[in-house]
Amino acid sequence: MSEKVLLVDDEEEFVETLAERMRDRGMDVSTSNSGTNALHLVDDEDFDVVVLDLKMPGIDGLEALRKIKRRRPDIQVVLLTGHATVEKGVEAIKEGALEFLEKPVDLASLTDAIHKARATKMVLVEKDTEERIRDILHHKSW
Amino acid sequence: VSDEGLRFFGEMSASVSHEIRNKLAVINEKVGLVQDIALAMKSGRSVDPDRLEVQAGKIIDQIRQANQIVGSLSRLGHSVDATRARIDTKELVGLVADLYQRKATRAGIRIDTTELADGASVTTHPFLLEGLLGACIDAALPRVGASRILTVASDNSADGAVIRFRHLEGLQESDVRLGGETSGARAMLTVIGGRILADRQLGEIVFEVRDCDRTDSGSLQ
Repeated sequence: MSEKVLLVDDEEEFVETLAERMRDRGMDVSTSNSGTNALHLVDDEDFDVVVLDLKMPGIDGLEALRKIKRRRPDIQVVLLTGHATVEKGVEAIKEGALEFLEKPVDLASLTDAIHKARATKMVLVEKDTEERIRDILHHKSW
Repeated sequence: VSDEGLRFFGEMSASVSHEIRNKLAVINEKVGLVQDIALAMKSGRSVDPDRLEVQAGKIIDQIRQANQIVGSLSRLGHSVDATRARIDTKELVGLVADLYQRKATRAGIRIDTTELADGASVTTHPFLLEGLLGACIDAALPRVGASRILTVASDNSADGAVIRFRHLEGLQESDVRLGGETSGARAMLTVIGGRILADRQLGEIVFEVRDCDRTDSGSLQ
């Protein structure tokens, strides 16, 4: 099964071109041009990874990251930025981002980050499933 | 004055560098896509040649936009070449509006420019005028009304030029203090002999610039 990715960036040409390249590599990619719209999509669909631009009008990347993690802790987030600073990188990782990549993005690095993110999500989902099964076994008398 | 000038120039440079980096990011992806298409063709896969043509056109468009951004920064940089020059007010307002557009967009605002008198012009210090126009836009952005459009209108006045920042709501006198009497922006205003007022009734910040060709001394203070 291919990775289900949501790409979020207010620069439409960037997000659409990157999406086209990722689809050519077999990924299932959706796009959004705002943090607000991305949150609606996260509510409606089950993504493995969200790739977020740090600087966007309205809800910026860090705020979107916090809100996504609050709604869906299992979804992995990769942040992209045109202005990488150590402080922002540390803040993003503290808020739960898996990777912090600088623009112009190297597609091989982004693809690696997405593979890693999906593997992390699968481990989290498996753990959650195990806990649920253990909980059912513990509470049911059979 | 120099601190305020440096702050303004630094902010504009950072904003422009971000814009350029965004354009480079798009060009990087589009060139990558062209490489992907070339590889697919080499491996014998059928590819619509229109895909290449469309991407080439979009790359040229991104380069044109980046060139325009660099041109604005270059014009800003060259505005310190002279301490006094005859300025086409509409052109200068357009330059500062272009430089501030990214900041405005982040607040969901569009900056429109308009000319109330044909060929409005003024003789003054170009860089200080740009810095003060920027300070007025900074003061106006939080007060832009429901239309989310800030209109900057340039006009002639008896003493020189007047620039109006329109469609503002809830405007206060404190919005045009520009950091107080001892601030760098106030010092810039004193040097060019201008006034910045809040017209609360019309919802406008009004920036009056005195033409130093029309003053007694004929020079900047």
